[in-house]
Amino acid sequence: MSVSAAAGATPRVALMITCLADMFYPEVGERIVRLLRRLGVEVTLPTGQTCCGLPLFNSGYHDEAAAVAARTVTIFRDAEAVIVPSGSCAWMVKHEYPGLLRGRAEAADAERLAARTWEFSQFLVRRLGRTTFESDVEGPLAYHDSCHLLRGLHEGATPRTLLNNLSGAAVVPLPGSDECCGFGGSFSVRLPEVSTSILERKLANLEASGARCLVACDAGCLMQIRGGLARRNSPLRALHLAEVLKS
Amino acid sequence: MTEPLITTPLRERAAQALGDRFLHEALDIATTRFIALRRDAFGDFPEGEALRDRARAIKEATLQRLDAHLETLVANIERLGGHVHFATTAEEAREIVLDIARRTGARMAVKSKSMATEEIHLNDALQAIGVTPVETDLGEYIIQLAHERPSHIIAPAIHKTKGQVAELFSRELRRPGLPADPEVLTKIAREELREKFLTADLGITGANFAVADTGTVVLVTNEGNGRMVTSLPRVHVAVMGVEKVIPSMTDLAVFLAILAKSATGQKLSVYTTLVQGPRRPGELEGPDEFHLVLLDNGRVAQLAGPLRESLYCLRCGACLNVCPVYRQIGGHAYGYTYPGPIGILLTAMLNGPASVRDLSHASSLCGACADACPVRIDIPRMLIELRREVDVRGIAPRSERIVFKALARLLRSPTLYRLAARIGRAAQRPFVSDGRIRALPSFFGEWTKTRDLPSIAARTFQERWRDLS
Amino acid sequence: MTSHKLGPDDGASSSRRAGARTTKAEFLARVRGEMAKTPGLFVAAPAERPAQPRQRLELLRRELSERWPHTLERFRAEFEHVAGVFHRVPTAADVPAALERICRERGARRVVSWPSEELGVAIAPVLGAAGIAVEPMPRAVPPDAERLRIRAAVAEADVGVTGADLAVAETGTLVLVAAAGRPRSTSLLPPCHVAVFDRTALVESLEQVGLALEAWHEGPAPAERGAVINFITGPSRTADIELTLTRGVHGPKEIHALFVDGGLGLHG
Repeated sequence: MSVSAAAGATPRVALMITCLADMFYPEVGERIVRLLRRLGVEVTLPTGQTCCGLPLFNSGYHDEAAAVAARTVTIFRDAEAVIVPSGSCAWMVKHEYPGLLRGRAEAADAERLAARTWEFSQFLVRRLGRTTFESDVEGPLAYHDSCHLLRGLHEGATPRTLLNNLSGAAVVPLPGSDECCGFGGSFSVRLPEVSTSILERKLANLEASGARCLVACDAGCLMQIRGGLARRNSPLRALHLAEVLKS
Repeated sequence: MTEPLITTPLRERAAQALGDRFLHEALDIATTRFIALRRDAFGDFPEGEALRDRARAIKEATLQRLDAHLETLVANIERLGGHVHFATTAEEAREIVLDIARRTGARMAVKSKSMATEEIHLNDALQAIGVTPVETDLGEYIIQLAHERPSHIIAPAIHKTKGQVAELFSRELRRPGLPADPEVLTKIAREELREKFLTADLGITGANFAVADTGTVVLVTNEGNGRMVTSLPRVHVAVMGVEKVIPSMTDLAVFLAILAKSATGQKLSVYTTLVQGPRRPGELEGPDEFHLVLLDNGRVAQLAGPLRESLYCLRCGACLNVCPVYRQIGGHAYGYTYPGPIGILLTAMLNGPASVRDLSHASSLCGACADACPVRIDIPRMLIELRREVDVRGIAPRSERIVFKALARLLRSPTLYRLAARIGRAAQRPFVSDGRIRALPSFFGEWTKTRDLPSIAARTFQERWRDLS
Repeated sequence: MTSHKLGPDDGASSSRRAGARTTKAEFLARVRGEMAKTPGLFVAAPAERPAQPRQRLELLRRELSERWPHTLERFRAEFEHVAGVFHRVPTAADVPAALERICRERGARRVVSWPSEELGVAIAPVLGAAGIAVEPMPRAVPPDAERLRIRAAVAEADVGVTGADLAVAETGTLVLVAAAGRPRSTSLLPPCHVAVFDRTALVESLEQVGLALEAWHEGPAPAERGAVINFITGPSRTADIELTLTRGVHGPKEIHALFVDGGLGLHG
């Protein structure tokens, strides 16, 4: 995969902000927009976005998820490419939308959207071919693989490529980087003790890594991990990849 | 219905397990070790991925012609002088085994590890008619003495310290003052059980595979008890789920190449025993009678059901070892015979959707299980399907359905969504300090008991967009 | 997925008369009934099995005979990796002395063994002269009382000596096919098991074992074949107590492979 825009044409991308980033981490969205513009990408924001529907889907409310998916597909129908700051939402669109909307009016649009949707780090590396950035934070940094990005989208490389090519911050391996953080959506409040116990393991691994900052590509993971670090008044931080790349 | 529905909420059982310090440590050590062993075994095995694909394809194709393969299996076992019985329910399976025990006058049965016999609660039934069942797999022997159930599919006593085992043996075997030394304890188990092997009337096992082409029942073990149980007593009964049948010996080699690696990281388990009916006329040793009990108990219904893929399961335990939930709470907290990710699916298969009302949510859907599964069973997909089932059938609590339906309405309407943000912003004010929320009432308190929550931004990203354009 | 069915079909059991058992026909009818609901949904490829496996096995043996030293080296490495003890002697005549040494090292006084026709070498004279009793297993089946006595003798023995049908390099596995004169307990009850074999037993991989299994089952089984085939990969072991590895749980604590360079003259 390489930069495919016609010579001279500015790549255009529509941003799917995701409900969590919209409500809780708008600064992540801002940084993504600034960074992309600096790279010469035109960013649009289709209006009236809500959510990709993953929370409904994961709890088994598939008819309801399909209705939300249908709406999302329609909103993004005209986008050439769609960029998503969360691996789980990108996965939902790419993997589940086509099945959810099969046999419906939006079916063809769903397939098209799935093919044109990118998770943020994948877009930078695989679509734009951009891998080198300056770091906006002090390291050492450690990368946490979010489950849907790693195992759903089979992507463990692009975030690491970006981090390893950062100038200005060291990167250290995170023990158990591929282990779940315990968020799991509603799981985090249905079985909060188990969710917290899983989180504690992640935090212990973070401490053991020697990193000053954990980096992830999923708002759900960040909410869980930051929530745990803050409760412990930990000096360690958890940031979205977009908050690390200097824009 | 195989097992009575468990009424204590999963959350309570999980919390209890989390409070057990030794269990926590034991689980951590054991699962971490198994993960590393499996990773090393497959790391050293480039053909592994292709074999996994082949294994899955064999399972899929076999189920598609299950009737033919079962016919072939039965014909071959009978040709070898064995008997095949058909059990639609767990109760029927128990009755078949009890009948054999009664007819052969058995007073004691030695058992090699079998999750299928756990599933049908065979031991209690044998005891009730005066046949003493003796578990011979060391882990199963330990939990039998402790009157517990296995907490892991392949390492049943993983939750016990060596001190606990020493105490248990000292008390139950009337050998006071035993040291907490695994070597010593193993030697004692060997002595105690050797006598049982040599005097038992009946040997009961499960089966890892049954090869239709040759009427061969295959046992994969490490201790040697599988060999003892199938060679020394006069009668051997194997209880096996119908999904374990595979067509050919060539197929068997494929599965043997990946099973032990997935379970313990061994290239092969110490003993792979291929049983082909009762002993032949010219043989010195071996049972006079061989019986295979084919078990349905909910499996056949899944041939066309949403849980079909779970019929591919080899019972290797790899999914347990990588599951973040299992690693924290262990096997007993699941409550039913089969724990871990695959266990939730099997519980639904055996006991119906009501049994997994809680269990279907005992997962963060991280997908590590599907990754580790030697036959690539897509467990998360089926867990979501179970959640759907629980919802569609009205098994989920009404309050929950109301919340999710409301959420769905909200997410379909940008107006309601924006309104929710405004309301949330206002409602959160008393709870926010430094941009963080530390405590929230009711349902939201489930998060804030142990974690901070970010506050809803003063302006959402979409509200800021105009400034960014 | 077509149906929302979960859980055992209570319909089947409730319509059954108390005590009535499922017949094969009923059982298979149920299976067929379910399978009929998913026609063509899943690939139903025919099972893989080689045509004429006996012939292919013969060809394989010839190929393997050209590279047996390399296969042996791999076998030795894997066998030792699973805690097997490997020995090598030049000719069949050297086997008894090697066995005597193994026995002496363990203070073993009683040996049970497959008969010399099955081993390809006579071991009783040399061992007997060293004060080690050897009881060969009978080739014909004696009356029950004698069978019980033999079983007790095997359980009391210090060492069990057998041959091996296959030695698998990939995994360090010995494959023993039970037969008349090749009983099961010889390699199971005594705490020390010694398997004597030559290059004709060597195969490289589990895949080749699969071929051998197919070949052995092509056509009717020979009259003397038994009802079990045992794959043995190292000594008996468990890690059930705190994941601490211990050996000799129920089966042998030690396993020895005694390879005879010059051959045992067993396979035609």
